[in-house]
Amino acid sequence: MSEQDPGGPIANPEGEGHGHGLMTPMVPSEYVGRHLADVEGRRRVHPLTPLIHGLRIIPIVLLIGFSTANSFAKTGDARFLAGVLVVAVVLIAPITGLQYIAWKRLSYFFDSAGDLRIDSGVLQRHERRIQLSRLQAIDVVQPLAARLVGMAEVRIEVAGSTSKATLQFLTVGEATALRSEILARAAGVRHDAGEAPENVLVHVPAGDLVLSLALQAHVWFFLVVTILLVVVTVLSSGPAGLTLLLVAGGAPIFIVFSEFSKFFGFTLAESPDGLRLRHGLLQTAAQTVPPGRVQAVGFYEPLLWRRRGWVRVKINVAGVQGSDQGSGDRAYTESVLLPVAPWPVAIALVSRILPGVNLQALQWQSAPRRARWRSPWQWRCLAVAVNDSVFAVRGGWLERRTCLVPHARTQSLRVTQGPYQRVLGLASVHVDSTPGPVRITGHCRDANDARDLAEAQSDRARLARGAAPPARWLR
Amino acid sequence: MTKSSMTQRVFRPPDEHWTPVSPRMASARRVSLVLAMAPFLIAIVVLAAVDIPRWIPLTLLGATIVVGVWAWWLIGRRVRSFGYAERADDLLVTSGIMFRRLVIVPYGRMQLVDVVSGPVDRKFGVATVQLHTAAATTDATIPGLLPQDAAALRDRLAARGEERTAGL
Repeated sequence: MSEQDPGGPIANPEGEGHGHGLMTPMVPSEYVGRHLADVEGRRRVHPLTPLIHGLRIIPIVLLIGFSTANSFAKTGDARFLAGVLVVAVVLIAPITGLQYIAWKRLSYFFDSAGDLRIDSGVLQRHERRIQLSRLQAIDVVQPLAARLVGMAEVRIEVAGSTSKATLQFLTVGEATALRSEILARAAGVRHDAGEAPENVLVHVPAGDLVLSLALQAHVWFFLVVTILLVVVTVLSSGPAGLTLLLVAGGAPIFIVFSEFSKFFGFTLAESPDGLRLRHGLLQTAAQTVPPGRVQAVGFYEPLLWRRRGWVRVKINVAGVQGSDQGSGDRAYTESVLLPVAPWPVAIALVSRILPGVNLQALQWQSAPRRARWRSPWQWRCLAVAVNDSVFAVRGGWLERRTCLVPHARTQSLRVTQGPYQRVLGLASVHVDSTPGPVRITGHCRDANDARDLAEAQSDRARLARGAAPPARWLR
Repeated sequence: MTKSSMTQRVFRPPDEHWTPVSPRMASARRVSLVLAMAPFLIAIVVLAAVDIPRWIPLTLLGATIVVGVWAWWLIGRRVRSFGYAERADDLLVTSGIMFRRLVIVPYGRMQLVDVVSGPVDRKFGVATVQLHTAAATTDATIPGLLPQDAAALRDRLAARGEERTAGL
């Protein structure tokens, strides 16, 4: 879509390296004769890797520099700069050196069974085997330091393993090629088939993203808090305190900026190996959500988006933990399918990723009127709907949400009732889905109908499960 | 129809065959309750020893006793509220007095079945069966089963799960 496109350099798989027709070596010929492969087909990550690890320290150096800038200002700029440089070298050199040894000892290759092996470790050797038949997701991520020199890392997630395997760093072209090679091998097709063709479904314009953020209440809240913080800081410790506030990321407005930066240039494309999500301003991420892994979908409409008919779409993906439970290094979310889009686009997209799911003909059944005593704000919006393919719930007051789960993806069902609900003769029906941001809860149904609703959904789920074969990766 | 019988009909449908849990669980829970309250009692004794107005430890003692008796009584009711029913295609688990709950777990969705038993539970010879699906929110636990019943239930559930297993 733009300059941020990490798939750019490999956009035409017809390019160099794929012209050979006669021989099919274990290693795609583009690696042969380069620094990546030796005779056994072992490959190395890029030789610049140690330096990138060293460069990651730079923000810390800058922070030290800024925070000591005031006390050094009197002693002259040259000496101060020299001091910062010395600190930078002292910090970066040993890291780079250690990472160089680590780089020497890191190699990866595909074994005879077709699985990916990663051998690493300096003092303690770590030989990891990644069973491609259990592949869950594979991302190409560009952290800022790597992005400055055109590098990327590949993250591989396998079912039943708690940690991700990461390969740091490859050039963007190599990373994309490796991803498509792994996907192709996992699918059992020729691994030198090149990048699967993709079809761009949605691109979120930067203007819409900015406007959508400006139309959310929490953005204004953070803005006001930031202004208050700045005013208080300037009054108490003068403009000098301001640099520290900015550098240390103490301003809440950074939360908004990081949201903008995360979703900048959001592009959603469809390809045979799954949905491809690309986004990010500073750190770019390219994620692939395997087909058939989408378990539930939620549409979220903040108050001020409604006039524009905008909606945010989130999904629960099997095997991928939501960002709220993920480890800290996941500076992006795989649970947001679309940060902002008009309703018709969102509906069209969802009917595309959940094939056979019909979003029309949802007959909403509102919660009984007495629900307002239990949920005084959202009771007007509370409703459930069922059609032949999905179970849907609606709720929310300022931010309206519409969540749906296909019958075949229903896990278990719960009917719950608190004491106050009992007085009112109400009960809630929950359809459990895999962990993620989307919760399917029909709040405040008439207690007499609640169990019938759950039982009927249980029957529908059973029939749907019987009809649909279990979804498997790419088969 | 009274409100309570209506609740009963929703959360413990009478046409199913409900298996209650063992009353031994009540004893186990009550021992846990006493163990949990012991630090409070010790704190009150310590308070009574220092030089403060007499009414403070007395009030605290009274409150502790009231809460303890109420919890003691509640445990009995809560244990009686637990029940499960094995149906042709799914398992029903019901529980709760104030917060009622009915969970329907299809056999085809069960990923694993655990039997767990803590130190107090083991002393009283009870175990808990926990069902897990791909959803973290499923929360289908059946406490207070005799160990042999728990093992038998686990094996039955696992076998049925095997027959009907479905992908995600």
